[in-house]
Amino acid sequence: MTLTAELRDILGHDRVLSEPLERWVYGIDSGVVRGDAELVAFPETTAEVASIVGLARHYRTPIVARGAGTGLAGGAVPTQPGLVVVLTKMNSVEIDEENATAWVGPGVINLDLSKQTEPLGYHFAPDPSSQSACTIGGNIANNSGGPHCLAEGSTVSHVLALEMVTADGDVVMLGGPAPDPVGLDLRGVVVGSEGTLGIITKALVRLTPNPPDVRTLLTAFASVEDAAATVSGIIARGVVPAALEMMDQRMTQAVERFVSAGFPTDAAAVLLAEVTGLSAAVEAEAAIVEEVAGQNNATTIRVAADEAERARLWLGRKSAFGAVAQAAPDYYLHDTVVPRTKLVETMTRVYEIADRYGIMMLNVFHAGDGNLHPLMAFDSEEEGMLDRVKEAARELVEICVDVGGSLSGEHGIGIEKRDLMKLVFNEADLDAQARVRESFDPDEMFNPDKILPAGSRCFDLGRPPLEGMWV
Amino acid sequence: MAWVTPEAPTRSELSACIQCGLCLPQCPTFRLTGMESASPRGRLMVMSAVAGGQAELNDVFDDLMSFCLQCRACEVVCPSMVPFGRAMEGARIEIAAQLPSPLRRLRRLITGRWIGSVRVMRSVTRIARMVQRNVPARWLPRQIKTSIGGLRPLPKKPLSTIGSTFAPVEPAGAGVAAVLAGCVMDPWFAEVHEATVQVLRRSGYRVVVPDGQTCCGALAAHDGDVLGTRRLARQNVKAFVSADLIVTDAAGCGAHLKEYGNWAGDAGVILASKVKDVTEIVAEAIADGRLPHLEVPRGKVAIQDPCHLRHAQRIVEEPRQIVAAAGYEPVEIDEDGMCCGAAGMYSVLQPAASDELGRKKADQVRASGSTLVASANPGCEIQLRGHLGGAYRVAHPVELYWEALQAADADTVGWSSAGEGNR
Ligand SMILES: Cc1cc2nc3c(=O)[nH]c(=O)nc-3n(C[C@H](O)[C@H](O)[C@H](O)COP(=O)(O)OP(=O)(O)OC[C@H]3O[C@@H](n4cnc5c(N)ncnc54)[C@H](O)[C@@H]3O)c2cc1C
Ligand code: SF4
Ligand code: SF4
Repeated sequence: MTLTAELRDILGHDRVLSEPLERWVYGIDSGVVRGDAELVAFPETTAEVASIVGLARHYRTPIVARGAGTGLAGGAVPTQPGLVVVLTKMNSVEIDEENATAWVGPGVINLDLSKQTEPLGYHFAPDPSSQSACTIGGNIANNSGGPHCLAEGSTVSHVLALEMVTADGDVVMLGGPAPDPVGLDLRGVVVGSEGTLGIITKALVRLTPNPPDVRTLLTAFASVEDAAATVSGIIARGVVPAALEMMDQRMTQAVERFVSAGFPTDAAAVLLAEVTGLSAAVEAEAAIVEEVAGQNNATTIRVAADEAERARLWLGRKSAFGAVAQAAPDYYLHDTVVPRTKLVETMTRVYEIADRYGIMMLNVFHAGDGNLHPLMAFDSEEEGMLDRVKEAARELVEICVDVGGSLSGEHGIGIEKRDLMKLVFNEADLDAQARVRESFDPDEMFNPDKILPAGSRCFDLGRPPLEGMWV
Repeated sequence: MAWVTPEAPTRSELSACIQCGLCLPQCPTFRLTGMESASPRGRLMVMSAVAGGQAELNDVFDDLMSFCLQCRACEVVCPSMVPFGRAMEGARIEIAAQLPSPLRRLRRLITGRWIGSVRVMRSVTRIARMVQRNVPARWLPRQIKTSIGGLRPLPKKPLSTIGSTFAPVEPAGAGVAAVLAGCVMDPWFAEVHEATVQVLRRSGYRVVVPDGQTCCGALAAHDGDVLGTRRLARQNVKAFVSADLIVTDAAGCGAHLKEYGNWAGDAGVILASKVKDVTEIVAEAIADGRLPHLEVPRGKVAIQDPCHLRHAQRIVEEPRQIVAAAGYEPVEIDEDGMCCGAAGMYSVLQPAASDELGRKKADQVRASGSTLVASANPGCEIQLRGHLGGAYRVAHPVELYWEALQAADADTVGWSSAGEGNR
């Protein structure tokens, strides 16, 4: 028997893809690194996932879990010829209205969950810009954030329990309905582990009540400094808006071409702020935002008149990455975090790098928590361009780390940022992480080569790799 | 071997896709399967692989492309504005060129030639009528069961409106509207044409159905038949050369005519710039007061958005405005406007997926609580009727407006004949 045949015995012919063209599309996610998906399987139940893991173990084939494949760091890319397990068909939703929670399959699309809970007055708070497409499984694996995570926290704050298939093919339950379960918080360990510790087959997520009132303000500035000062000013006044997003001029222009939402394309930076809560509080906080923007020389202050205008503005913001392709065929995106006070300094240095390397740079970011998304747009067919982009990217990350920031705010490390881990962690840090991983998955069967750079397990205390293991 | 025709997907069309994946959830076939290879992003990636020589154009490529409905829902949400519909037509042309087969030749004969002939369509109509009246649905093969079941009762003597002219209703002055008769609209949907003509007249248009015109060619284009598509396009360019306004009452035809630039050069670009769907014209006439808002309440109507109206032509509000002006309360059935599965010949070529989408759409209509559905495309109408059964009525929005207008006329006439009105 072969792995293909045994998988087909369990899943049926159609739920295992083996044709080269069909596998080709599973060799990449929304990032730029391509790998080789040898086989692709589509389980529908936890039991099927457990059987698949058992078979893969038997055939010594590495497994990469995949949701919608919108990851930006190559997390769902098989770096070694392997089996891609796609969870899109596991998309059941059971809502527990009384406790404001829901058991969801990993393949449930983020926005679909919020649409389903909308009539009950709830939504799933993490709202990555990819929320119309990405899955809850992917959100959990990457601990994804979004514009509204400034006030609500990222995915980890919204996951109560996880059902997971381990490297041995066992089904385990981590966490539970209680907000603070006893014992080690393994649920917290698995959230953000990017598919390296097991396959998530079900999750108990917290639902957040829809705010009674909401106001979205569009402000524009003649300089990035003014916009950044506004961000700090708002937070200094004790207001934590539900979302606080900035786009620079190039990005605003690309976005406006797609949505025609009336973004001022002549401004150096626009800031999108949203305040939510009870009407009186919303009123007061919106007034503060307007006032601070005014003090910082805002050239436009506009309050979205209705839900339709609000939806347009957010569609614009959430389409930003895609809209970049109008500028050039390829892009390379970073996801660094810097202290809010260093925003202006970092931006100036980032533009300086782009100029020096002759690369077009567009910026869009979660200004509230200093999570930058500098985007380099380029044409990879241009001679030597890819190397220049990679060099520039490295410098960019170094700058962010230099001002006291971090490597990734929310998109994960995957394969693309793995080797930059050494910029922020020392040997002991990396070793500790490698040991956690080893205790879950000693043979590196799940998503090998991801997150931790080779050699992370530096103070090796035992276990040489087994003969014939996938190392 | 990569591509062999000049119509193949171009590098700029393909590289416009940055693989963000935002189109996935909008794609009906991705929703059915959860598979990347059945998604817009996957299909573009596969085209790129062939273009770049990393993969061959083989039967699997054909299967992956043929599973696409060409509904173009993916285009609407694509922030990078990838012209997916055009790229897919290019891919189909490549398939036709590189993988010829007897079945494809037969299809080319049907959609590229026979369909353009009024005489052939008459014979087809006679046969279809016989089947419709005499053959129980359970005897029909799956590929045509829904289509036959969803047809309006076919006429014994199908008429053609081609060559007719209709005077405007005074006050005239809106100009001349040249109507596309279409291949199936004329023999199978005469009531829709009638409503289109009459409502256009009432909006002040002189209506002509120019001689020499033929099928728009959408089906041939979707099947990758370049020569057939070009031939039909050229014939229509000639027939409509003196028109200032070209009106269609089938969304699929309108969408294709608006892209004649791809098929008939500069003359095609000019023709395309003059094309309007009848819902655009009628909504405009209602808005500027040439057509009345009718007050009598007529109940609910579920709105089905044909893909080639909503996604390809981006016409969304007009059908709602028209039924509202007719006195109906429009009811939404699907915020994303997901394809009903009719998709031209798709229902015949991919009956399983088509049926599943048709059933879903029918469920959405049932959930709306309305037994009346407005749909501005013949294929969707057939699919909906086929899946909903006899207890439901499916009609074109302009048809509903025309009925309401006639009822209002009758009321006014009754009222005036009682001696009180003056019209
Ligand atoms: C246009 C665009 C905008 C984006 N905006 C944001 C943003 O605002 N904030 C943000 O945080 N991210 C953003 N992202 C990144 C991405 O959408 C998120 O990381 C998302 O959570 C990935 O979900 P997915 O279903 O696509 O996962 P995939 O890409 O399929 O997988 C991501 C990782 O999760 C693992 N994984 C997936 N499912 C499982 C499972 N069931 N069990 C174990 N591991 C699993 C995979 O192995 C992989 O390592 C954006 C991406 C795009 C393209
Ligand atoms: S939305 Fe557009 S750019 Fe994004 S994957 Fe789909 S086709 Fe490509
Ligand atoms: S045209 Fe329709 S079926 Fe085809 S890829 Fe786009 S959304 Fe999917």
